[in-house]
Amino acid sequence: MTGAIDTAGPAPATHKRPGRSRAAASDLAKRERRAAYLFLSPNLIGLTVFVAVPMLLSIVLAFFSVDGFGGYTFVGTANFERMVGDPQFIDSLGRTMIYLFVLVPGLFLSGLGLALLVRSQFPLVGLFRTALFAPNVVSLVVVALIWNFLLTDDVGFVAKLLGRLGITAPSWLGDPSYALGTVMVITIWFSMGYYMLIFLAGLQDIPREFYEVASIDGAGPWQTFRNVTWPMLKPTSFFILLTSTIAVMTGGLEMLVILTSGGPANSTTLIVYYVYQQAFVYGEFGYASAIGSIMVLILLAWSALLFALTRGGRFTHAD
Amino acid sequence: MALAGAAAAASLSGCGSSSAAAEGPLQFWNFYAPPPSDDPATVARAQWMQATVDQWNAENSEQIELVFAPVLGSEKLSTAFAAGTGPDIFLISPGDIIRYINGDVLVDLEPYLSQEAIDDFFPDNMATRVVGDQVFALPMEIEPLALYYSRPAFEQAGLSEGDIPATWDELLDIADKLVSAGQGGWVVPTTQGYYQNFVWYPWMWQGGGRVMSDDGTSAAFDSQATIDALTLWKSGVELGLTPRVEPAGDDIVSSFVEGYASMWQSGIWSISDFQRKAPDFDLGVFPLPVPPGGEPATSLGGWAFAANAMGRNPDAAARFCAWALGSTDDAGITRVAEWCVQTKTDIPPRQSALDRANEMGGFDTELMRTFRDDIFPSGRGEPRFPPVIYKAVSDAIQSCQLAGGDAADQAATGAQAIDAYLQTYEGAQL
Repeated sequence: MTGAIDTAGPAPATHKRPGRSRAAASDLAKRERRAAYLFLSPNLIGLTVFVAVPMLLSIVLAFFSVDGFGGYTFVGTANFERMVGDPQFIDSLGRTMIYLFVLVPGLFLSGLGLALLVRSQFPLVGLFRTALFAPNVVSLVVVALIWNFLLTDDVGFVAKLLGRLGITAPSWLGDPSYALGTVMVITIWFSMGYYMLIFLAGLQDIPREFYEVASIDGAGPWQTFRNVTWPMLKPTSFFILLTSTIAVMTGGLEMLVILTSGGPANSTTLIVYYVYQQAFVYGEFGYASAIGSIMVLILLAWSALLFALTRGGRFTHAD
Repeated sequence: MALAGAAAAASLSGCGSSSAAAEGPLQFWNFYAPPPSDDPATVARAQWMQATVDQWNAENSEQIELVFAPVLGSEKLSTAFAAGTGPDIFLISPGDIIRYINGDVLVDLEPYLSQEAIDDFFPDNMATRVVGDQVFALPMEIEPLALYYSRPAFEQAGLSEGDIPATWDELLDIADKLVSAGQGGWVVPTTQGYYQNFVWYPWMWQGGGRVMSDDGTSAAFDSQATIDALTLWKSGVELGLTPRVEPAGDDIVSSFVEGYASMWQSGIWSISDFQRKAPDFDLGVFPLPVPPGGEPATSLGGWAFAANAMGRNPDAAARFCAWALGSTDDAGITRVAEWCVQTKTDIPPRQSALDRANEMGGFDTELMRTFRDDIFPSGRGEPRFPPVIYKAVSDAIQSCQLAGGDAADQAATGAQAIDAYLQTYEGAQL
């Protein structure tokens, strides 16, 4: 538009107008940048004040012995060395790895499976989607309390239901052989709706034409899934693998506190509970910070590995 | 994130003296007032707290404000102190007190108390708040543990008062008869934590066991008495007499009323729970049975007032604690007695208040009399162990009770952990 006007104008003006145009464009770019920063600033400030700064301070704290009453003594790497000789830390880390290796695939598969089930349009599909997502809108504290009552030994709903079928229910939360598995099942039940929703969004982004072409080519359901759905879902899968790992490793504390308090016999003391226990029950803020720092390192390493393997989630050399 | 938040708060606050509020009245963190619900018992307790503070405020220039703070003794309190924003006055339990004593954040209340007042407190119960001549908290109540039983369940199982167990063997036998008759079992805590340790200690004490030597310098946990006590709780679960998870969400009243439990180890506070929720329930109580050759023993729980030495006015805070619970005048004695037998069902922590509570009719019921006469005299104050020692004991209990651990191995492992910790422990005698 400015070009058309410029060419029609007198010579002196043609010298000035492009300059003004560049200046105007520059002003516009500046204004856009300012607007962008303005929109970003609430989040940036929030992340800096409530995440980045405390995280850095927490890492600094890992090099101190903290008495919980304002006394700080620099201890170098003593808190990190202590971890090596702390069997409870090693046990909780090992337990967390088991938890991770079961739960992340569990959440992935359940989320994907449910998304595939509810992506079709059938009567009451909206109701099903809502019902599956509903646990996510309930507080984890409430979820834990409800399951606590459902799983009560002998007189709980689940025990009575199984009893009618002639099955003697074990002590789901009181037997170390079952407690961690029970927590995993509840976590999957609680979280799968969220991952279903993410997968559903990914599925709905796949152009319908791809399926029509596959159908014309005579592809069956499995071939369609393998050759159309799965490749197109890779970016979504990457996102879910990354976020579910972080969520599983750092979340669910409220449920552990209410359901099991890390027991029975430490069988549900995951690393996140151990950090909480060291910091807020034992007042070992320095040691807890050191463990928290190791958790951050593990998650950073996992994220970097995932990014490298998937080329930033794009799964291709192109781009 | 929570840890990071605490780190930020701690770093930002610095190490100087500070309090929960920068100005205004001194803050008294408690879990009674202002009342969190309309429940009559809760309101009555809140009224006692408010009346006590109101009277202080009317007579003194330093004003105090009650702040409701749930779950005192754990996250909220420790985080507040770590951030330099601890309350001026607060409630503290024996299980938590050693950290605060060793952190030098509690005011020594001894200079604020008359010798008559100090002598008036029951020494065994007071011991866990004392270091040498220093008094770091004043108990507001004493809460001994006993075994409650459901008379309807006993009757249904064909048992009578004469069958009340006096020994461990009888306890297991009666529990077996109750369970075999379709009644609920014998409930002790199974959730790991300070409370479970508190409830378990008497079983070890009865056989002469201790966690540590008398001078507090070495572990005494690896003993036959410990092994026997661990084995008793293990047997309860393995024989199917003790549920692995406390029934009815750990609610003794519902469990007895619904028939989910027949015997339940709990404190004197449960009497008021029944008075409130099931006043007509036919409830009985008896002292904890003893092992062969053992002596009766029970734990004495209860909360105490403490003053923050890092607060805005430690002197006024300490004077308030001493005045509220340690006054030797008539009103002061009555105040303590009213708290223990009118708003709660507890044993007063002072002889004079116990006498006053007797005069007030606080022990006219069979249950309260049993606690006063048969259970309280064998009581010992709840130990004040640091977290590492608490955890060593807790791990032994949990392993044996719920994971089939060998009691002898667990006692030895616990003792090793305690000894290792004591080698580097610096602080008040445990």
